[in-house]
Amino acid sequence: MAAPVLERVTTGPGRRARRRPGARRRDHLIGWLLIAPALAYFLIFLLYPALSALYYSFTDWNLRTEASWVGLANYADLLFDDVKYPHFWKSVSVTLQYTLIAVPLTLVAALAQALLLNAIRRGANLFRLLLFLPVVTAEAAVGAIWRWLYDPQYGLINTLLGLVGIPGQNWLNTPELVIPALAFIAAWQCGISMIIYLAGLKGIPGSIQEAAIIDGAGPWQRFWRVTFPMLRPTTFYLLVTGVIAALQVFGLVYVIFSGNGRSVTGGPEQSGLTYVLHLYLFAFRYDAMGAACAMSFILLVFIMIVTALQFRFVKQEAA
Amino acid sequence: MRRASIYVALVLLAAVSVVPFLWMVATSFKHGPDIYTKTPSLLPLDKKTGEWAATLDNYAYVLDVGGLGNAFVNSVWVCAILVPAKLLIDALAAYAFARIPFPGRDKLFMIMLAGMMVPAITLLVPRIHVTQSLGMFDSGWGLIVPNIASVLDIFLLRQFFLSLPGELEEAALIDGAGRMQIFWRIVLPLSKPVLAVVTITSFLFHWNDLVWPLLVTNDPELYTLPLALQQLVASPDGGRAYYIMAGATLAVLPVIAVLLVFQRRILQGIAFTGLKG
Repeated sequence: MAAPVLERVTTGPGRRARRRPGARRRDHLIGWLLIAPALAYFLIFLLYPALSALYYSFTDWNLRTEASWVGLANYADLLFDDVKYPHFWKSVSVTLQYTLIAVPLTLVAALAQALLLNAIRRGANLFRLLLFLPVVTAEAAVGAIWRWLYDPQYGLINTLLGLVGIPGQNWLNTPELVIPALAFIAAWQCGISMIIYLAGLKGIPGSIQEAAIIDGAGPWQRFWRVTFPMLRPTTFYLLVTGVIAALQVFGLVYVIFSGNGRSVTGGPEQSGLTYVLHLYLFAFRYDAMGAACAMSFILLVFIMIVTALQFRFVKQEAA
Repeated sequence: MRRASIYVALVLLAAVSVVPFLWMVATSFKHGPDIYTKTPSLLPLDKKTGEWAATLDNYAYVLDVGGLGNAFVNSVWVCAILVPAKLLIDALAAYAFARIPFPGRDKLFMIMLAGMMVPAITLLVPRIHVTQSLGMFDSGWGLIVPNIASVLDIFLLRQFFLSLPGELEEAALIDGAGRMQIFWRIVLPLSKPVLAVVTITSFLFHWNDLVWPLLVTNDPELYTLPLALQQLVASPDGGRAYYIMAGATLAVLPVIAVLLVFQRRILQGIAFTGLKG
């Protein structure tokens, strides 16, 4: 805490003692005034919503009427009543599958790009910029572009696959292909992870690589024995944040599977019905705000557990 | 030899990254029938004669009938108000948290940081409810006020302010300068790099944001660009690739321009911030 330190300094001898009296009390006032807008925002749009979401998760509520207390019924119904919430577990499974495919795919793509970029000098900035381009693109535009790329008849993906003799697929209308197709888009947008990996690579002292070369290690050995272990903190960070983001994937899926107006279904046989898309439907299409709040707390607890497990079981420190 | 293979791999990866955009732009200039071809063309060519046949009709359609012109203006307005206001509020708070001692400051800061850990989705439903209670639902205010500060930005700015040398400030204090004078004349000018990062990432986030405008607006007059584009994708009439690609091009172009102009700052900034709101 800084306050007592300053008190001692302002009253004691030395340069700072010459500040005018009353400056400390005025500092308190100015301090509170400066944080007041941010604090108001925090209380109104963060703390209050967080607490009220918890409260509403125990109620039956549709935004328009009074919320009525139902205790744990929302939680119990979501988890166990597959007549009332037939797609809850489906959305859980879709989201887990997406996370398990998209996160590793993104990390591998990002690391590969970072390694390649780190190995060249000329043109590195240009390539970095081009590889970063997909990240700054709005998810609405990404969804729109990829719907067109995945078009079964005229899409570029099928045409390119045709060139190497692979038969075209109806990517976004075949239940088994929906998650891989979405995960590929995520890997296409790996630019942020790529930049962070690149920063990690720059942080590895050249002397370690040189020592490995002198010891006769080939490129493959150097990667697995030196580079990758040194990048462990970076990988751990990207893994934790990547999993948290993947478990909440929404906008892209919403654009791709929003279909005609109000009839969002989450893709063929709900194969693209991610957890948050399902939550959105309950909150804003089916007027079940209480259930949606309960869903968001189930997700919150799940994210905390998964994150804790990663901290417990994944190696974080550089070797 | 090894060097050459690295470049080949990079060119292929860059192509995967960029070709979708080239195809988007090409499609946006094509006449309807010309986009349905067996062999894809990156140039707007006439399907039958193979001659150059670019058109601006798709843009005219989406800007007018598709409502993207109006949405573009809305997006510009929202960003023009939201980004500077947010930067100011965040910087003032960050300065107080970093430099002005007052009782309870550090505890309060820890509480705000803890609040940041709650996933955005948990807050969405009640945040809409709060926005409604404040009478801002389905209004321009609703697009701006509920996003007017960011705990993460306050955190980043505070870290930077802490790293500034304290001597300048102390000298100014002794010379009788007020806190606000120090903030405007000394701290902000020294903080241009981090202010730039926060401004650019905020702009990108809010320009691209789909979810909040989707939830807080009903009136098509208020739609921002991502939302109008999503509506275009979803509409049975506009769901045609040449319209949608024209819309997507309109949404992406300003962002590409910002990326090209500020690439160094953005890419440096990402290494320590990630891209966020």
